Amino acid sequence: MTLSEEKIRELTLKAIHELGDKATPALVKEYIEKEIASSGSYSGNVSTGTSNRVILTSFGVNTTGIVSGITKALSDSKCDLLDISQKIMQEFFTLIMIIDISNMTNDLKELQDIMNNIASQLKIKIYLQHEDVFRFMHRI
Amino acid sequence: MPYEFEEILETIKMTEIEHFDIRTVTMGISLRDCSDRNIAVTTQKIYEKILRYGQAHVAYAREIERQYGISIANKRVSVTPIAIVGDAFGPEEFVKIAEILDRAAGEIGIDYIAGYSALVQKGFTNGDLNMIHSIPAALSTTKKVCSSVNIASTKAGINMDAINLMAQVIKDTAYLTRDKDSVGCAKLVVFCNAVEDNPFVAGAFHGISEPEVVLNVGISGPGVVLDAIRSAGNVDFQSLAEVIKKTIFKITRAGELLGRKVAEKHKIPFGIVDISLAPTPAEGDSIADILMAMGVEDVGAPGTTAALALLNDCVKKAGLMASTSVGGMSGAFIPVSEDRGMIRAVQKGNLSLEKLEAMTSVCSVGLDMVAVPGDTPADTIAGIIADESAIGMINDKTTAVRIIPAYGKAVGDFVDYGGLLGKAPIMEVRKLSSTNFVQRGGRIPAPIRSLTN
Repeated sequence: MTLSEEKIRELTLKAIHELGDKATPALVKEYIEKEIASSGSYSGNVSTGTSNRVILTSFGVNTTGIVSGITKALSDSKCDLLDISQKIMQEFFTLIMIIDISNMTNDLKELQDIMNNIASQLKIKIYLQHEDVFRFMHRI
Repeated sequence: MPYEFEEILETIKMTEIEHFDIRTVTMGISLRDCSDRNIAVTTQKIYEKILRYGQAHVAYAREIERQYGISIANKRVSVTPIAIVGDAFGPEEFVKIAEILDRAAGEIGIDYIAGYSALVQKGFTNGDLNMIHSIPAALSTTKKVCSSVNIASTKAGINMDAINLMAQVIKDTAYLTRDKDSVGCAKLVVFCNAVEDNPFVAGAFHGISEPEVVLNVGISGPGVVLDAIRSAGNVDFQSLAEVIKKTIFKITRAGELLGRKVAEKHKIPFGIVDISLAPTPAEGDSIADILMAMGVEDVGAPGTTAALALLNDCVKKAGLMASTSVGGMSGAFIPVSEDRGMIRAVQKGNLSLEKLEAMTSVCSVGLDMVAVPGDTPADTIAGIIADESAIGMINDKTTAVRIIPAYGKAVGDFVDYGGLLGKAPIMEVRKLSSTNFVQRGGRIPAPIRSLTN
């Protein structure tokens, strides 16, 4: 787990406020440790590796209900949409989403099957791939 | 967004349009502990061991395939050269081993099992001889077994006796599989400087210095390189080299990722990624088309060898930068039957056997999937193998011959295997005799390594 600078500042200010004049090195250490342990959410804001992210790419002829269809399926499976980017050129669209699947209720294969269904209903293409393949190919 | 829009689309374009796939994930399994004086015990040990390690190979590969959205065309297994495992046996018993390999391969659902092999560049053991004599029967009674024999090396020279023997074995295999366009020969490779960790069939085997079990991966992506060269347009060679290297770098990275993930699933060590450009009969997935996109009118035109040299060198350079575990063949393959552009060039009369031979001196692997008339004498085939081995021996590189003297066929005919093996036009072979040369026998001594002019 890594902490952003902002988080460290926030923790420090809270410690000053809570402990005030009573602060000793041991107490500060104990307080900070407790705060970090009680809140796992600190890791949520910062990228801590890539094992839980997939990239969804979709393209085809633009029609209504594409984003809602995809996002509904994602929320039904408890997937967290981290980023979305879209381009529409004339009647064609391309949509890319980065999705956190740490809390996903399905496995990836099931989600891919669901997306394949949506794709065939809307007559578009949807690809769902683990992020690592993009990281390996485009980042040294 | 941590990735550019274009980067993501580039990857999708490679896998969906340009036929980028992982050609093979090959599990190497040592069978050295399966030797026994009793053939029934040996075959049982082999069967059990392959099933134990290989049972989940196909399932794991499929899982990784889906997870990363890159298809893995073949799942294969390579084993210790069988001549070593069964050194005490006679030809009939070797055929039994081939049959058990075939059964095990069928049971675990892989595409090919390779390693029905012998290494005889310096000389034969009795077991080597028996194993080689058993090859025609073994290849005609099995479907998935691939065989290879190493008959030369830079360190040992060229074993001409072994070449003569193999020429006859090739002819016999062609005859025994005559009802299927002599398909047995498509699964039989004669090597000079064979490598121990090659994941590509038919020449794969699990070398004697390899670990107990290992996972190697072979990548393939001529279509991706072709499109990159086409979109680069009319640039000079340095710029062209840059374009090729960038593309190869990306596909090598993806190949290594998938290989490592499959190995992780198996909990076995990852071996190497073989960065070979291997064509398929699919449109656009062709080395010949790459050479033409570089500017030669057709494969066989003057300049073809230089174009191939540039391509092959870029493949190696970019692959080495992208992965720390490069191995196997790692170059461009030019199998005739598996490459639509090569087939076209042969049919038009633009590509001859002699030009193909020249091309093999600057790329991996050699005269590959070349069909010749069924009445080509064994001595002529021996001469062709000797020439190809000489190129490998002198240049310190791997060369191979996978030649199909298609029984009953002549120039103008075709052999057609379908699938990845493709179809090959029968190529013309010079009618000049090699008999008095190859029948001298013995061994061509190993070459000098200095004064290399």
